[in-house]
Amino acid sequence: MGVSCVYDYPVPDGRSGAQVVDVLQKQVETMGAYKTGNFHIDCETYQSVMLNSPKTLHILHNSEHPASCFAILDSGNTLVADTLFNGLMSNLKNYYQARKGAKIESKGQRYQLADFVLKIGSVSLAGSFKGILVEVEYSPSLVAMECWNLMKELLQSIVGNIAETPPQTLKPRMDETFTPTMAMLQYLEHFNNFRNKAAMSQPAR
Amino acid sequence: MNHEPVQTPTELIQASIHLIQKLRTGVGQVFKDLSDGISEHADENSSKEETDSTAASSSTKDAAKDKNSTISSQNQKEGSGTEKSEDQQEKHRAILRTLKRSLETISHDFSDLEKTGGHLGPVHMLSNIDYLSLDPVDKNTVMHPQLLQAYKWTNKMHELANQAFTVLSQNSLKRTQSPFFTSAKKQKGSLPVACLVPPVAVDTFVHNLDQSNVDMSISISRPLGSCGVMQIDLKRTLRAVVVLRGLMIEWVKVKGFDETFKTEDGQIDIWSSSRYQVFQKITDHAEAASLHYYAPAKPEIAIKSFVLWLEGFSTLFSAPCHKCGKHLQNNMPPTWRDFRSREPFHDVCRM
Repeated sequence: MGVSCVYDYPVPDGRSGAQVVDVLQKQVETMGAYKTGNFHIDCETYQSVMLNSPKTLHILHNSEHPASCFAILDSGNTLVADTLFNGLMSNLKNYYQARKGAKIESKGQRYQLADFVLKIGSVSLAGSFKGILVEVEYSPSLVAMECWNLMKELLQSIVGNIAETPPQTLKPRMDETFTPTMAMLQYLEHFNNFRNKAAMSQPAR
Repeated sequence: MNHEPVQTPTELIQASIHLIQKLRTGVGQVFKDLSDGISEHADENSSKEETDSTAASSSTKDAAKDKNSTISSQNQKEGSGTEKSEDQQEKHRAILRTLKRSLETISHDFSDLEKTGGHLGPVHMLSNIDYLSLDPVDKNTVMHPQLLQAYKWTNKMHELANQAFTVLSQNSLKRTQSPFFTSAKKQKGSLPVACLVPPVAVDTFVHNLDQSNVDMSISISRPLGSCGVMQIDLKRTLRAVVVLRGLMIEWVKVKGFDETFKTEDGQIDIWSSSRYQVFQKITDHAEAASLHYYAPAKPEIAIKSFVLWLEGFSTLFSAPCHKCGKHLQNNMPPTWRDFRSREPFHDVCRM
């Protein structure tokens, strides 16, 4: 597991998500990347019932770490547990309840390019397409600070100028040893953004 | 034939084979003499031929004596002939003399053979191969001849290898062009020094090396016997394993910092390669460097400069290529470090 950066790739008006994903896939294939299967990341959100100040708990799964389950609080505190943790959540029904229609996921093709792993995923919230997330992972390095410039070169050839600066979530932790949790935190941030956008556009309908 | 009391069975067998051959030639000679005699006196009476043939069949002294007496009686009979027959008689005597001499040689050779044969004991079976040759079931199979063939080949190969060794040892192979290292005297004197350093000295050297390098943690262990295995962790960038024989670098492998050189049962694994292309490339370069810095006369300096060179990889992911100024080339960072300046280069940029 190396350093990975996740970016939200904008879908221009008048084009469908599938089209943009197709263009992106063609682009990385011309760069020399080859397919290494599919990936899948999902996030479910639970709301506390009993407490006075409501707390939110996000449960994320990543197909790169199939035996693990990431539980993240809004404060950023994270627990990495076995997948059995899902069963535990159903026993905590009285304290934490799943928010309805809040399941958000990103899935798509996984590519390998030398030591880079590229993932182009389309995000869907409760079944409807919301956007595209591009993840670039550089496996050999463990410190984001060291390999950021190197990753920037590759990222800019894929997602363009969006990758001018490191992802917000990663910025304060650039000098730490990278952990899978840091990638999940980036995904969670993007998922929250997509949800907020969806919530804002809902009343207007 | 002199038979010394101390003779190996092989020598005895060889001696007897030689004797048998000699005997055969002797007998052959007798037949030849006889046929010469017969062709000259084809008109002689049949009784003489008969006596001749009896002489040919016998090969002992007694038989020779009998024949001589018969022949002399015949000579007496012929003695009453003409002057011509005197000439013939002279010829007869000459032939008989040769014949007698040959017969005497035969009997002599035969007694020699008998003596030698007396010394021969039963042949002792030495190995399973000998039994295999006796096995009647195996007659139809090709195993025994093949085994013999293989044995011959091994012998031949051994011989050739010995010859090659003598040729090659005259020709010292040189790894470096520098006259300082290539002088034959220096190499002979210093090579064992680099290999035969006591383990304690190697341990102290590695310990000092560890303390003098801030960015690296170096440890040494000896899981493979006397060979030291040096494990190097460079910052949070890479891990390397270096196998030392004395103070000579024999093997280098480089892996990522999140990879391990331990097998599942805790043994050190010096064989497996990194799963990352970057570190596979660096392993190649490190092997090249270990040869570049090879200096049997000053092994400590060789290892120090190698470690210093390896330390240059601390900026593996952060330093751009010195030539093209980019980080990525073929999706790889600059994996080459110059041997002198330690400047980073892409594999393709260093030319």
